[in-house]
Amino acid sequence: MAIATNKGLYLAHEIYADRSRRVRELRKDGKKIIGYVCLYPPVEMITALGLIPFRVFGNMDEPITAADQVSITVVCPFLRSIIDLGIKGKFNFLDGIAGAHTCDVGAGLILQWRDYVKDTPFTHLIDIPHTDHAPAIEYFQHQLNSFQRHLEEFAGEKLTDEKLKRACELHNRQRQLVRQLYDLRKPDPPLLTSSENLEVLVALFSLPVDEGNRLLEDVLAGVKERKVKPPAKKVRLMVWGPVFDNTALYDLIEDAGANVVVDDTCVGTRAFWADVKAPCELQALAQHYLVDIKCPRTFRQAEHAGTRRDYDRDLDSRFSYIKKAIKDWGVNGVVLQSVKYCDTHGYEVPNLRHYLDTLGIPGIYIEHDYSERSMATIKTRVEAFVETLG
Amino acid sequence: MDTPAPKLFFAGLDIGSTMSKAAIIDAEGSICGYVVGPTGAEHRHRANRVMEDVLAKSGLSLDEIAYIISTGYGRVNVPFADKQVTELTCHARGVAALFPDVRTAIDIGGQDAKALKIKNGKLIDFLTNDKCAAGTGRFLEVTAETLGLELNEMGRVSLQSARPVRINSQCTIFAQQEIIARLSEGEPLPDILAGVYIAIATRVAKLARQLKIEPPVVFTGGVAKNSGMVRAMETVLGVPVLIPPEPLITGCLGAAILARDEALKLISRGEFRTQKKQLSEAHIEFTEKAA
Repeated sequence: MAIATNKGLYLAHEIYADRSRRVRELRKDGKKIIGYVCLYPPVEMITALGLIPFRVFGNMDEPITAADQVSITVVCPFLRSIIDLGIKGKFNFLDGIAGAHTCDVGAGLILQWRDYVKDTPFTHLIDIPHTDHAPAIEYFQHQLNSFQRHLEEFAGEKLTDEKLKRACELHNRQRQLVRQLYDLRKPDPPLLTSSENLEVLVALFSLPVDEGNRLLEDVLAGVKERKVKPPAKKVRLMVWGPVFDNTALYDLIEDAGANVVVDDTCVGTRAFWADVKAPCELQALAQHYLVDIKCPRTFRQAEHAGTRRDYDRDLDSRFSYIKKAIKDWGVNGVVLQSVKYCDTHGYEVPNLRHYLDTLGIPGIYIEHDYSERSMATIKTRVEAFVETLG
Repeated sequence: MDTPAPKLFFAGLDIGSTMSKAAIIDAEGSICGYVVGPTGAEHRHRANRVMEDVLAKSGLSLDEIAYIISTGYGRVNVPFADKQVTELTCHARGVAALFPDVRTAIDIGGQDAKALKIKNGKLIDFLTNDKCAAGTGRFLEVTAETLGLELNEMGRVSLQSARPVRINSQCTIFAQQEIIARLSEGEPLPDILAGVYIAIATRVAKLARQLKIEPPVVFTGGVAKNSGMVRAMETVLGVPVLIPPEPLITGCLGAAILARDEALKLISRGEFRTQKKQLSEAHIEFTEKAA
C-alpha cells in the first residue's frame, strides 16, 4: 500500500503494474530480452553481453488453465502459473529463457518451455548442484562456462573479462542500493511499507540494471524527503519463504496491525544480501550463486551431514543470518510463508521453527496456493498471530 | 452523588460460519445473557438480530453497552462493533475465563477446527484446519443426512458401539462413500457412527499434537455438544476433556471479556469517549474500583 508517492516510487508502481512495459520498448530498439526463472542464472553474464535479464514471475490473479495440459497439478503453483502464461503467449516479448535445476519442477519448467512455448529462440537449463562442497562449486563453474558459450553464440559476441567486470560492478551497485533501501525500514515506524518495497524490487527485476539503479537512487532520495510516514505499530515482523511477487500478502499482514520490516525471500533480500566478490570471474559467480545466496534449494546442512550431535551447530550455521536480521531490524515475530508443494522450503520449516524457538521469537507457518483466493483463508491466522504478539 | 451510577455492560458477538452467538457481561464478568442462533446468508442482518435478542434476554438497551467486540468469520459485518478480534484470541480468552488452568483447547465449529495453546489465560500458539469440511461440524451434518438421522440422535446411537469401524478417508465426500460401503457390508449403525467420530477426532487431534497437548484440555464448539464426539475425542487424545456448560459461547464470551478489558484500558488512559454523562461517571467509579 502506497502512503505518499514520489517520482521513484511512482515509477516502481507503474512497472510493477505493467512489468514488461520497458523491455517491450527496448526490444523495439533491437535489444534482446532474456527471461530467467528463480535467482540462479547469473544476471551479470546476461548483462555483460548486452542482453537484458528479465526475471519471470507468475500471475496470482490469473487462473491456471492451459498448464494442466502439460503439467501435473500437484507441483509448485507458482511455476505452473509461469508455464501457463508462457503457453498463453503472455511472455511473447522474451527472446530467450534461462533457468537452473533449482528444484525438479524448476528444471522441468525450462524443458516444458522449450517444448510448448513457441517463439523463444534461446532456452538454457543450467545444471546446478544441490550442495556447496568445493567439488560442487567446481562442477557449477563448468556449467556456467557452458551457459557462457551458449549465450555468446546467441548474442554473437564474446564475453570479455572487461565486460563481465563492468556488469558485476553494476549489479553489485544494485545490491548495495537495495541494502540501503532495507535500511529505511530499520527505524520505528519504518520509512517504507513492505508493499512499496516489493514494488520497487519487482521493478528492478523488470528493468536493465542501470535503469534499476537510477530508480533506486530516486526512491532513496524521495523517501527520505517525504513527510507522511507509515504508521507505528506494536508488532514488527519478518517474512520468510519462497517467491512472493505480489503485494497481497504484505498488505494483508500490514492490515492485520503489524509492520513487515524485513524478509528472507527470493523477491526480497536473498538476491541482494551478498555482493559478487572481485575479481568477477566464473569462480566468483559460482561461489556467489551456490554458496552466498541462502535458499534452501542448496543443502547447507551438508557440512554436518545432518547429524544429531551437531544439530545446534548446524542450525546456527544455516540460520544465523536470520538471527542477525531479527536483531538489526528489531523483529518480534516471523511469518513463515510457503507456496503449496514447495518441498525445498517445507523441509526447512521444522528446523527454522526450532531455531526461532531457541531465540524466543514466535513464528507462524502459512501455506498458500499462489492465488489471491488463498489470501482470504490465511487472513484470520495472520490476524490472530499479530494479536498474540500485540 | 445521590443517584447511583449505572452499571457497565460489555458485549461480544461471534458470527460463525454456521451459528451466531452473543453474550453480555457486567463489570464483574458475570454473564447477563447469551443467545445462539443460525447465521444464514445475511451476516449483517444476523448481527443486528442477534444483538437485539441478547439485549432483550439481558433486559438492557444498546445505550447501556459500553463496548462491543465482534469475532468469527462474519466479524467484519457487525457495523456497531467497536473492535474486531479473531475467534482464536476470543476462544482462548473465553475458555480461560471458565477454566483458568486450561493449557490446550480444541474447538470444532461448523466449518473449521482449531487447536489452541493457552498459558496464563493468554493465547500463545494455535493451528487451524481451514476451508476443508473434514474434521468439522459440516462433516457430521453430511453424515447425518447420508444416514437420515438427527444430529443429536447420532451421538446417542454411537455410544452403543463396542467395535467402531475404520473410516480411512480424510475427505468428506470420500468418507460418505466409505460409510455407504460399510452399510452395504452390513456393519451395525452404532459401529459406523462411532467410526465417524473417531475419524473426526483423529484429524483434529493431529492438529493439537503439533502444538503438544498438555492437560487440562477443554473441548468447545457446536460439535462438543455431541456425546459420541466427546467420547471419541477422549479415546483418541488419551486424556479426559472438559466441556463448558454451553460449549458454543466461549468465543462470544471471550469477546465480551476482551471488550471489558479494552474499555478498562481506555478509561484508565482517559481516552474513553461517550456521549452519556452518567456513563462517564460510572466509568470513573469503575476505574477507581479496578485500580
